[in-house]
Amino acid sequence: MSTTLPTRTEQDAEKPTGELVLRDVEKSFGVGENRVTAVDHINLTVKPGEFVTLLGPSGCGKTTTLRMIAGFESPTSGSVLLDGEDMLRLTPDRRPMAMVFQSYALFPHMTVFDNVAYGLKLRKVPAKQLKEEVGFALASMGLTALADRAPNQLSGGQQQRVALARAMVVKPKVLLFDEPLSNLDAKLRVQMRLEIRRLQRLLGISSVYVTHDQDEAMSLSDRIVVMRSGRIEQVGTPDEIYRTPESVFVADFIGRANFLDVSEASTSSREGHADITVLGQRMSARAHRDAVAAPESVLLVRPEAIHVRRFAEGDDKVAGNHGRVLNAVFYGESVEYEIETEVGTIVAVVSDPVYEEIVPVGDLVGISFDPERAWLLPAAS
Amino acid sequence: MTISNATVPRARRFSLRSRETPLDLTTRIAVVLVVLILGVLIVLPLVNILSSAVSEQGLAVFNSMFSSVNLQVLQNTVVLGVLVGAIGTVIGFLLAYVQVRLEFRGKKLLHLLALLPIVSPPFAVATAVITLFGRSGIITRDLLGITPTLYGLPGLTIVLSLSFFPAAYMNMLGLMRSLDPSLDEAAASIGANKWRTFVTVTLPMLVPGFASSFLLLFVEAIADLANPLVIGGDFTVLSSRAYIAITGEYNVGAGAAYSLVLLLPGLLVFLIQRYWATRKSVVSVTGKPAGRPAVITSIPARIVLLTLSGLLALLIVTIYATVIVGGFVKILGINNEFDLSHYRYVLSGIGSDAMITTTVLALIATPIAGVLGLVIAWLITRKLRRGRGLIDFLGMLGLAVPGTVLGIGYALTFNKPLGFGNVAILPALAGGGAVLGGAIAIVMVYVIRSSPSGQRSGVAALQQIDVAIDEASASLGASGVTTFRKVTLPLIRPALLSGLIYAFARSMTTLSPIIFITTPQTKIMTSQILSEVDAGRFGNAFAYCTILIVIVMSVIGLLNLFVRDSSVPKAAGLSSATIN
Repeated sequence: MSTTLPTRTEQDAEKPTGELVLRDVEKSFGVGENRVTAVDHINLTVKPGEFVTLLGPSGCGKTTTLRMIAGFESPTSGSVLLDGEDMLRLTPDRRPMAMVFQSYALFPHMTVFDNVAYGLKLRKVPAKQLKEEVGFALASMGLTALADRAPNQLSGGQQQRVALARAMVVKPKVLLFDEPLSNLDAKLRVQMRLEIRRLQRLLGISSVYVTHDQDEAMSLSDRIVVMRSGRIEQVGTPDEIYRTPESVFVADFIGRANFLDVSEASTSSREGHADITVLGQRMSARAHRDAVAAPESVLLVRPEAIHVRRFAEGDDKVAGNHGRVLNAVFYGESVEYEIETEVGTIVAVVSDPVYEEIVPVGDLVGISFDPERAWLLPAAS
Repeated sequence: MTISNATVPRARRFSLRSRETPLDLTTRIAVVLVVLILGVLIVLPLVNILSSAVSEQGLAVFNSMFSSVNLQVLQNTVVLGVLVGAIGTVIGFLLAYVQVRLEFRGKKLLHLLALLPIVSPPFAVATAVITLFGRSGIITRDLLGITPTLYGLPGLTIVLSLSFFPAAYMNMLGLMRSLDPSLDEAAASIGANKWRTFVTVTLPMLVPGFASSFLLLFVEAIADLANPLVIGGDFTVLSSRAYIAITGEYNVGAGAAYSLVLLLPGLLVFLIQRYWATRKSVVSVTGKPAGRPAVITSIPARIVLLTLSGLLALLIVTIYATVIVGGFVKILGINNEFDLSHYRYVLSGIGSDAMITTTVLALIATPIAGVLGLVIAWLITRKLRRGRGLIDFLGMLGLAVPGTVLGIGYALTFNKPLGFGNVAILPALAGGGAVLGGAIAIVMVYVIRSSPSGQRSGVAALQQIDVAIDEASASLGASGVTTFRKVTLPLIRPALLSGLIYAFARSMTTLSPIIFITTPQTKIMTSQILSEVDAGRFGNAFAYCTILIVIVMSVIGLLNLFVRDSSVPKAAGLSSATIN
């Protein structure tokens, strides 16, 4: 039984391994009219050593996808390949992957050491080597002093470190993370995601990470897969996803967004741009390739791209260039304004605010934005 | 699009099935074994009862079921069931309420007293009650100077209520402990006083508990055979009627038919309970109550509650004191001279035979029942999706089917060699010419009667363990068996222990299925007690009962030593399971 367990020396081969391919993966539940498609023909390649995050609202199919990779669910159709090998033939325990769970899933009847040693014992690692490797894993997680504790004697953050050490110590070809940080408090979450990233880089293990937290996705990932209703909306680097979202959904889900109505859009002479009329002004903005052809399009302006200044007496009042402050929230490093304008409520974030310049609620402000920092995209259908 | 409607779902279903993660070999073997074992142990006997009941003799009973005689039997059974259900539930509720909401000295003792009837043999209460409260009872005649007639409905109601209330007690106790006390606090915070909170919040939340306790006791009461035989007098109920049909009238068909009538309410209650369990309606089973329930401090309430439970405790103590003392005197209440003749009788010859045989058979059956129940629990909570309900149902049947029905089914099935045509697969396992004097059939009855308790506590324990823990183990490379051995089993050890204890106690004290299949070669204590009581030799019966209780208690103690979790760190979040 143990002979077919993934051997740990494969990691040392010259060619990097851990290329995970999902091909036309579909998962449906129920039959006939009750049939629900949770994952709808997904195609995705995770390159060796790459950190890919599946991001989306709850019910978008991200967890189901992860569980199909792990083998806890079987796809209705499609295939899952790891370095060209068909994974669907294998039960979860035969797949050279390890998963980190949202609930940590530590074995409550084992000490921290035994939890981490569990996978190595299954692989019949000699006692001396086992002790070394577990010791190293514990040390790299700062858990050495806790080796003899029971899991229920640890804090949430410590438990999650144990879970992480337990998964990494078996040197899987793919690490799978199912919202591992969602039970931790905000500060610890930030700290843990840096740690996860550091270790994953160090070990060079391909990783698939599921989360609904965009900050987590942005800070961890080489690439983000944004999912919605079982489909992939967009795959891209954090930067691509943020700056050039494929759809209103992605733009809205990642970060915060203002959408301005666009009345006229035509192809611009400039590469990747379109000429548009927005708020009565003609301008040239960066544009999605389908934005001009689309029956309707909107202009995405991120809150931090909006300039806010006090409205001076003699200034022109054109629709959209001014508004009244509805709400001003001071975050320390920034101020967030909600501004009521003739074209709707606009959110603006001013970073590094000077104390005297924080505009009080009720005051009139002038607003503007740089079209180079805006993005034209087809309106949601 | 040219595919007809009918073929689409079919093709789809097929493709779904073929892509389902294949069950590993161990699981498949386990399923086949479990189905086979349950098939022989419970399904076959029931099928035989059914076919026997629709024989000519059986149909005659059904035809005359509404004749005045049978109608009287039917009515007696229902009246007894309702009375015992109501009284037992009230007793169980009172003791559970006191246990959860009151602080007092001797609380633990009261808890143990309330559980005592579980480990006591069926006649202990009946014989003691006759001795204490009968026509020539120590308390009734000697102390109060009255000579009531206990035989019949009054005696049966008292004895059965006292024998079966622990089931209601455990049920209510579990329910009350799982209630979120913040509900009471919420009611209090918006102005409800204690009494009003009790009536408008606490009681309504307990309705499912009352209902299920009542039904449980109702079924136990109508299924009981031992007590109607001893204390029933002319008051005939269905189980004693079936017994008379088989042992007195040699009319197996009629016996099967009567017992089939018993089977229906048993199964009905069982199904209702399952329905409730899946709905989880009113009960706020959060697993983690927000705090401890508020302790009742009102003096009048304390006095009333403590007096009532004190009286009950006194009654239970008196009854078991009677059992113990009764074995050491000539004839309790008439000649109270110290005397060891009863123990001499029981501990030598027939008595010691029965003692050893019963204990050995129960000891053989206990681990089998424990493992069977546990494997079923594991399959239905962790491994199976399709067919899970069916296996769960079959596994619990041993508990749902009244003992009388089971006994008759076993007699019908295993008194002759089992086979197809002339090819015998199994030799006769019960009755006269059976192999090993019918011991195998008795072990089989013990197993099927007690494996449901293992299954139930196993399911409860497994449901507490996050599936992610199993998945984590698999994801680290452990096969299903390895995960079970290294992770699941250690975590459910407390449940396993309570399952085993219950299995053993149940085996040692079971009677109604046994009387139909014991043979002269294989003597079982409970049926020996029956004949002693029948012959009026209460002293011997008391001695038997005491020894039986001692054996059960010592084995429980030993099991506690053996199966106690030793080296592991304190398991997180797993409350150690209680005896039921």
